[in-house]
Amino acid sequence: MSRQPPARPRGARSQRTRSTSRFRGWLRHHRAMSLDSARRLLQAPLASLLTMLAIAIALVLPAALWLALDSARLLDAELDESATLTVYLSHGIDEAQAGRIDEAVDAQEGVARTQLISSAEGMAEFQQALGLNDALGRLEHNPLPASIVVVPVDPAPKAVRHLAGELETLSGVDEVRLDLAWLERLRHLAELGSRLALALGVLFGLGVLLVVGNTIRLAVESRRQEIEVVMLIGATHAFVRRPFLYSGAWYGLGGGLLACGLLGLGNQWLATPVSALAASYGATFSLPRLGPEGSATLLLCSTLLGWLGAWIAVSRHLAEVRPR
Amino acid sequence: MILFEHVGKRYGGRFEALANIDFRVQRGEMVFLTGHSGAGKSSLLRLIMLLERPTRGRVLVAGHDIGRLHPSQVPFYRRQIGVVFQDHQLLVDRSIFHNVALPLEIRGVEPREAARRVRAALDKVGLLHREKALPIELSGGEQQRVGIARAVVNKPSLLLADEPTGNLDPQLSADIMALFEDFNRIGTTVMIASHDLALIARLRHRVLRLREGRLIADEEAA
Ligand SMILES: Nc1ncnc2c1ncn2[C@@H]1O[C@H](COP(=O)(O)OP(=O)(O)O)[C@@H](O)[C@H]1O
Ligand SMILES: [Mg+2]
Repeated sequence: MSRQPPARPRGARSQRTRSTSRFRGWLRHHRAMSLDSARRLLQAPLASLLTMLAIAIALVLPAALWLALDSARLLDAELDESATLTVYLSHGIDEAQAGRIDEAVDAQEGVARTQLISSAEGMAEFQQALGLNDALGRLEHNPLPASIVVVPVDPAPKAVRHLAGELETLSGVDEVRLDLAWLERLRHLAELGSRLALALGVLFGLGVLLVVGNTIRLAVESRRQEIEVVMLIGATHAFVRRPFLYSGAWYGLGGGLLACGLLGLGNQWLATPVSALAASYGATFSLPRLGPEGSATLLLCSTLLGWLGAWIAVSRHLAEVRPR
Repeated sequence: MILFEHVGKRYGGRFEALANIDFRVQRGEMVFLTGHSGAGKSSLLRLIMLLERPTRGRVLVAGHDIGRLHPSQVPFYRRQIGVVFQDHQLLVDRSIFHNVALPLEIRGVEPREAARRVRAALDKVGLLHREKALPIELSGGEQQRVGIARAVVNKPSLLLADEPTGNLDPQLSADIMALFEDFNRIGTTVMIASHDLALIARLRHRVLRLREGRLIADEEAA
């Protein structure tokens, strides 16, 4: 039944103009549908805003957790560098002996570098840190032993523990201290956190799909007659889906923008107490921000989720409409 | 143009809406499909539109077995058929112009060319002056003419109509039928389901009579 146009001498060229005009028609429909779906969203501003807010809320929690983990990872990298051991020398060891022990420690396998702290230097540091100049200044004997700070080649807990055992056997060494337990704990916490963030991300991503899917399902329901008519007169599934996919993408984008805004607000809301808390530990720590890259990722994800939710909702409907 | 070979259609596996239907419609013919309500007229048209698939036999349109069309080809097949419904199926939230433009929009026809063709189709059915109106502002007969304009705006080679005059008074019905005859005169194959026996008798075209899903008569044009 295809109504073949009469054969033309320039068949190839007419073929090309036909396919470019089809492409233009396709582009035109995309443009029309993106605008049309945006207009429909704006026609019911409150309902659209509520949908976007629901999406935003679903996105904020995993995004915030992800941000927190990101800063924890930065902290972790710093901690790796500070995975040092402190070798305390026995009492009564003089400076020359301490220097020889330091050389021996430095020569040990697995030691990157060392720093010898004489008992006097140790005392000075101690006094400074505690602000107790006067109290300790009155002590007759310096109670602090000399110590050597050792930076290991391999900061992994197992390697550090092994190195500590080796160093403990050196003569003149009283004790080797390493603060691994809390470091390990922190690492486990970070691992837990990242798994939690992933699980929440998946869960809340599904939430976004459901929110958008349900909204689009209602939109499809309200335009059912239109869909049936256009399919009767030869609309492809892609044509029918298009306006709804754009609606879904708009919802997702709007939700993502709101989520960015909420994260920014949360940041401001928490910034003062957090920096005060950090200051009380003598540290400077500022809450992580989403930044342009993070915002772009969030917006992309939310838009894609909206699009996907719409796709699922419309496809389910189209399967019903298709004549058997 | 249309060939039915031993076509049967059962709904739900039991009820036989059509049984052993055999007929052929030539290109450029105008045919009425008649019978009481429930005789199977709509079912037969739905088979041609691929809204249903036959449970037995084959339907060929323009030489192609439409049962073998891949689902992705179905939209393109439908674009070559103009369909007019009893309840006209206009989109209530679009103007007459945009309703008629719908098939062209689906095909991605360039807007200026589309506007030209829409106006030509509306002119043909005498409704050019109402292009900005909404369907609800039109009378039943006018709405049906908009439905016809939409069906022919693509210049289909086959025009199907299911009870196009079902809700109209005799004068309006005659006008609508005259429109179909006009399209037939320029070469369109036309198939109209109707139970308006008096009107059909006056028009002297070929008539296929259905009763309880069987083809009981095939009366050639007088
Ligand atoms: N989708 C359907 N499911 C079940 N039965 C149907 C369906 N469509 C039509 N029928 C039945 O098939 C018979 C023929 O219907 P139809 O083709 O609509 O007849 P007509 O258009 O001549 O009135 C009727 O008895 C009707 O109840
Ligand atoms: Mg019927």
